[in-house]
Amino acid sequence: MNTSVSIGSLTLRNPVTVASGTAGYGEELSGYCDIARLGAIFTKGLSIEPRPGNRGPRILETPSGMLNSIGLENVGIGKFLSQKMPFLREKGATVIPNVAGHSVDENVELCRVLSETPGVAALELNVSCPNVKEGGMAFGRSVPTFTALVTAVRKVATVPLIVKLSPNVTDVTEFARAAKDCGADAVSAVNTFLGMKIDIRKGKPHFLNKVAGLSGPAIRPIALRIVYEMCARVDIPVIAIGGIGSIEDVLEFLMAGACAVSIGTMTLVDPRAPISCVERLEDYMHTTGVSDVREIIGRAQTA
Amino acid sequence: MAQLIADPREVARGHHELAFAWDGAAPLPGQFISIKVNEGSDPLIRRPFSVYDFREGVLRIVVKSVGRGTRELSRYAKGDALDVLGPLGRGFSVREGGSVLLVGGGVGNAPLYFLARALVAKGTAVTCVYGSRDAGQVYLSHEFLEVCDRLVITTDDGSAGQQGTVADLLPGVLDGGAFDMICTCGPALMMKAVTEIAVSRKVPVEVSLENYFGCGVGLCYGCTVDTVNGNRRACVDGPVMDGSVIRWDSLD
Ligand SMILES: Cc1cc2nc3c(=O)[nH]c(=O)nc-3n(C[C@H](O)[C@H](O)[C@H](O)COP(=O)(O)OP(=O)(O)OC[C@H]3O[C@@H](n4cnc5c(N)ncnc54)[C@H](O)[C@@H]3O)c2cc1C
Ligand SMILES: Cc1cc2nc3c(=O)[nH]c(=O)nc-3n(C[C@H](O)[C@H](O)[C@H](O)COP(=O)(O)O)c2cc1C
Repeated sequence: MNTSVSIGSLTLRNPVTVASGTAGYGEELSGYCDIARLGAIFTKGLSIEPRPGNRGPRILETPSGMLNSIGLENVGIGKFLSQKMPFLREKGATVIPNVAGHSVDENVELCRVLSETPGVAALELNVSCPNVKEGGMAFGRSVPTFTALVTAVRKVATVPLIVKLSPNVTDVTEFARAAKDCGADAVSAVNTFLGMKIDIRKGKPHFLNKVAGLSGPAIRPIALRIVYEMCARVDIPVIAIGGIGSIEDVLEFLMAGACAVSIGTMTLVDPRAPISCVERLEDYMHTTGVSDVREIIGRAQTA
Repeated sequence: MAQLIADPREVARGHHELAFAWDGAAPLPGQFISIKVNEGSDPLIRRPFSVYDFREGVLRIVVKSVGRGTRELSRYAKGDALDVLGPLGRGFSVREGGSVLLVGGGVGNAPLYFLARALVAKGTAVTCVYGSRDAGQVYLSHEFLEVCDRLVITTDDGSAGQQGTVADLLPGVLDGGAFDMICTCGPALMMKAVTEIAVSRKVPVEVSLENYFGCGVGLCYGCTVDTVNGNRRACVDGPVMDGSVIRWDSLD
């Protein structure tokens, strides 16, 4: 039975990964499963300097989902390399750092350093970060800004480059195509949807940042539609993200055409969910007589 | 999965005791468990609860109904199995010898009973200031009375024990005895006041935070609190922390 999938030159032992920002740096998760058995771990969004993240409320449950406004709290590249990578390598995890710089230069520097770091399997570029040079609008919301960033990063990234797309645009597929044209090896889709909550008692937004990112099962059908359309129209490997938590969800996204999936919010609900999906996928392949997981990928595209 | 060994029992108005058969790791005082209150995706995230007591394979919590998840928990029945993670987090220091003052507010009294038992077992004298809104919301005070050397009940309206908040009473209690340490759990504003009093009298103080948790296991950075040493995650670096290092205005 073959469960491995390829993303450019990178081979994952199976298509089930853990999404950035919901796996920390693997330490806590390793208390719940052998993280080497996961397809990959996408670590928390990194900046050059450590970031304290946002003040005020950071999480709020919503119907079948949650809003978050963490603000990319992270340890910074220095501590990531000296303290977090050694642990992940020792555990045998497939590590894909999430790069979350706030300028083209910061992203380029991060990708240059990470590309040279032993044990980094690939890079995931988070284009949902505000671009401080352009008034804080996220890189991933305008094609020219996006293209400039991906092009610059591609030049220094010597490992596979995955671009994580923002869904807060009219047509996400357009960005998948732009990523391919800039030489990205894959895209991951999608990041959180911008949402909001107003505290009616106080008469003001619940989050200090006003808006926050919506994730979880609430966004799953929208993410699935985006992934399905993208896979039909652009020839680039897609890592699907959005409310995935069960084997049924994993199969849906693979059948839609994704070559791998990431489990985010549902990892927060149950840290055993990712490993359980790995095991259930093997069970599914066994009982349905599928010998290679690639037979499942895209099945619903041709039907 | 953890099975309820009895129907949830109403121990005070809107407060239910849940008792689980527990074969997981033994919890320490101040640790919590995290419960998925139903099978579906709504409500989605787990709900955290302090361990009220653990002995002979039975883990008890006290749940105050404040919303959908907590109400749902009160409606389970004996024999039902719930998805429970834990024990989680860092608990209180269990001092050996000397004298410790426990200060609880409302549902925040819950972890203090288990702590009191552990302290008494180590030969430590325990005084407990048990604060509540009113007499109807005082739960299991007879159990506290059995283990604590001294129990002072206070209610905001004076309907049970002395009238006033725990912060009103605290200076008097501290004047009346020497304490090596204060351990507190309750609303943030109360713990802030207790910390200020403790710090001004140079008594070490540990607080058990009850801010909004996301995952409860350290993955999401949703429950971060600001301390003099930088950000700390309440779920894994706490919920019990040294009260004097917390920047309380970040919890408002
Ligand atoms: C470490 C820890 C230990 C706790 N121990 C106990 C305990 O022993 N007994 C007990 O009854 N409660 C305890 N709580 C609080 C309890 O977790 C919340 O009351 C519960 O999650 C609310 O769920 P709900 O679905 O009923 O409320 P919701 O419908 O989600 O919300 C109702 C109200 O509760 C508030 N709330 C929601 N989640 C939390 C939360 N995590 N903490 C505080 N307020 C919240 C909301 O802001 C809202 O105002 C503890 C919390 C923490 C973090
Ligand atoms: C608490 C939290 C933190 C997140 N942090 C990051 C991050 O640092 N970088 C990133 O690219 N995406 C981040 N995300 C987005 C997730 O990786 C994922 O794309 C999104 O939540 C949708 O998937 P889900 O519904 O499975 O959670 C975060 C999401 C959550 C809930």
